[in-house]
Amino acid sequence: MKALLLSAGFIIGIAWGIFPGISKPKSTFAKLFALVVMTITIILSLLPQTAGSPEDAVLVSRMGATKFIPVLCTIDISHAMRTDAPGEWIIPLHGSSMKSFLIRYTSPTMDDIDNNTFGDNNEVIALLKRGSNDGEFFINGIVEINPILTLPYIVGLEERARILYFHVPMSWIAFLAYIIAMIYSVKYLRNPDQYYDSIASSAASLGTVFCVLATITGAIWAKFNWGSFWNWDPREISIFVLLLIYSAYFVLRSAIENEETRARLSSVYAILGAVAAVFFIYVAPRIYGGLHPGSADDSSSGPVLSQQDGTLNVLKQIILSLSFASFTIIFFWLLNLSVRIKFAKKALFYSNNS
Amino acid sequence: MMTFFEQNALYVVLLITLTVWVGIAFYLQALDKKVSALEKKITP
Repeated sequence: MKALLLSAGFIIGIAWGIFPGISKPKSTFAKLFALVVMTITIILSLLPQTAGSPEDAVLVSRMGATKFIPVLCTIDISHAMRTDAPGEWIIPLHGSSMKSFLIRYTSPTMDDIDNNTFGDNNEVIALLKRGSNDGEFFINGIVEINPILTLPYIVGLEERARILYFHVPMSWIAFLAYIIAMIYSVKYLRNPDQYYDSIASSAASLGTVFCVLATITGAIWAKFNWGSFWNWDPREISIFVLLLIYSAYFVLRSAIENEETRARLSSVYAILGAVAAVFFIYVAPRIYGGLHPGSADDSSSGPVLSQQDGTLNVLKQIILSLSFASFTIIFFWLLNLSVRIKFAKKALFYSNNS
Repeated sequence: MMTFFEQNALYVVLLITLTVWVGIAFYLQALDKKVSALEKKITP
């Protein structure tokens, strides 16, 4: 199911890119479709609230944090009871599990509590903090009543878990771009046509753009989750080496004056580079232990690939799949424009010289 | 500044999405330049 959902994203994106052709102008319908997919992705990746369970709030407090965390629950206001303390109430709370909990709440007016304050027995996202024991919480307000979609609260990641929809597609596209560069390099070597070389070099340059974006987005995230911008994690080292390999590709291209020699040599280099990319993206970071999910010392093969239950919530799978589709479409659209510009330039050059 | 981002994790995500869009915008800007150069050549 998970593999199906995620590959649907890849297939939609790639299908958009190769029909009617990598370098053919796209139809209005295709462009409209691209914009719709991008809009849905942006809305779905940022709009749903993160909401955990009461157990998550307990876990957070055991780790020493004193903050309130969003919890998806139902507050049973009809069974609220006064305590001896003035204005203090004990309200039953139900999470998604069978266990029931209590909220200790002091009314600010020292008086009755208003039903609407706690969502009137509807499902709510409440900001909770563990109280004196594991079954008791303090409340700091309601974030949303009857939320339509919620993302799971991951202790230690919180809202930062959303990086999944931006950072992972970046590196996927970098890989896709390098593979496309390889395919068109092979085509060039079989049939030396400048057309293939233009596509290969455009794909490699776009791949490098996305590779840099994956590195920067990862670095910003790492600062707030791992404590420093760069940690020399195996995956960080491998993407750094990959960037070096592909910067050498552009150095090589710009160093050769003759068009045919340049295309031939850089084709060979792009094929070697893509072989290295497969190794650096898929193999090396899984051999060694590191900070990234899916490293050798991780319990699963990472949220994207793991087939274990509970590694990635269904809503997250859908959003990730949409995100793959929309960023793949953006990539193919940029590639399309870049290749067409190169063709136009060449056509103009030859028509001026003939 | 750092504490703000540490307490509001959603803004870290915002920063990341902005980085992605800025990167794509830079590439678009580069393409735009190429088109402008072509247009200059075409119009006498």
